[in-house]
Amino acid sequence: MPPLDLPDTDVIDRAAGLVPGDTLYAARRFRAKVIEATQASHDALLEQPVDGLSTADRLRVAAHVCTIAGAASLAEHYEARLAADAGRDASSSPALPAMLQFAAALTTDPRRGDRAALERLRRAGLGDAAIVALAQLVAFVSYQLRVVAGLKAMRAAQGVKP
Amino acid sequence: MIRRNGFTDETLEWRSWLEPLRIAEATPLQLEVLDESHAQSRTSPYYLTLAHQPLMLRHRSAAYNAIMYAPGGLPRAERELGAMVVSVTNGCVYCTSVHAQRFEQLAKRSDTVEQVFDDPRSAGTSERERAIAQFAIAVTERPQALGAADVAPLRDVGMSDEEIIDLLHAVAIFGWANRLMQNLGEPAASAT
Repeated sequence: MPPLDLPDTDVIDRAAGLVPGDTLYAARRFRAKVIEATQASHDALLEQPVDGLSTADRLRVAAHVCTIAGAASLAEHYEARLAADAGRDASSSPALPAMLQFAAALTTDPRRGDRAALERLRRAGLGDAAIVALAQLVAFVSYQLRVVAGLKAMRAAQGVKP
Repeated sequence: MIRRNGFTDETLEWRSWLEPLRIAEATPLQLEVLDESHAQSRTSPYYLTLAHQPLMLRHRSAAYNAIMYAPGGLPRAERELGAMVVSVTNGCVYCTSVHAQRFEQLAKRSDTVEQVFDDPRSAGTSERERAIAQFAIAVTERPQALGAADVAPLRDVGMSDEEIIDLLHAVAIFGWANRLMQNLGEPAASAT
């Protein structure tokens, strides 16, 4: 069952299973600015208009990153957003395969640093501003899924130690 | 000066593979976001590249600055240790050089830096530093396999939930920063 969409929770709380009243929910609030900027990053990365990069395609990329990384609860979040997105039925960009390939490489092997990959995105029709948005999105999700995984591990540790 | 395994604590430059924004063509919003992101961002190819998406940069910088610089919680040198270990693990030579320098400035020593460059898996001059380094590697390499056993060594050295979350944020945001630095451009020797 997907977590309830409680008020006063953000995407990370819901993906990590934190609810108001939990000690970890409260400990996270110690860094209110981080919470706010993380959620604002998520929203801007998905919603800011970008030439050549629809919100639906960005959601497809984000869900793909989470699936590859094994982040099931976040993958569900992005898939649910995609299912509710007004642009989901429009045809996806012809550059989507190149975007997904770039996202997969960036997710699994950040060491690679492949200039040719950026050239492939340009040839697929993306401008530099769209490439920056795509790279920011993939890199952000790599951050977000690690925060969620770490919070889940902290929850598991609470069960082990008083 | 420390140079080992391809890493250095010398100052490096970074070259973009995209066209950085030309400052003369920047919009008022782009200038505002550049100025709030970093003191030298108007001349930094990295920030000028990211400034193509000013609102995405604004929120990234707000998150980054709150994670790495906010007072209280985990000592800043330990956040820099986490950042440096992740950067070495991800092979980000540029990020490593910056955060090795920051660690040295805050901790006023460089012994841990040499150890991290040699082998982050065994690095640390104390049990606490070793616990931090090992957590940073685990979060970087196998986030979905993290569990209670990865958190226990941090609790054993006395870290509170708030400090562990500070470390988690610092480590995770270098999963973000390294990916941009390594995939939108490359390090270069400094001209100075």
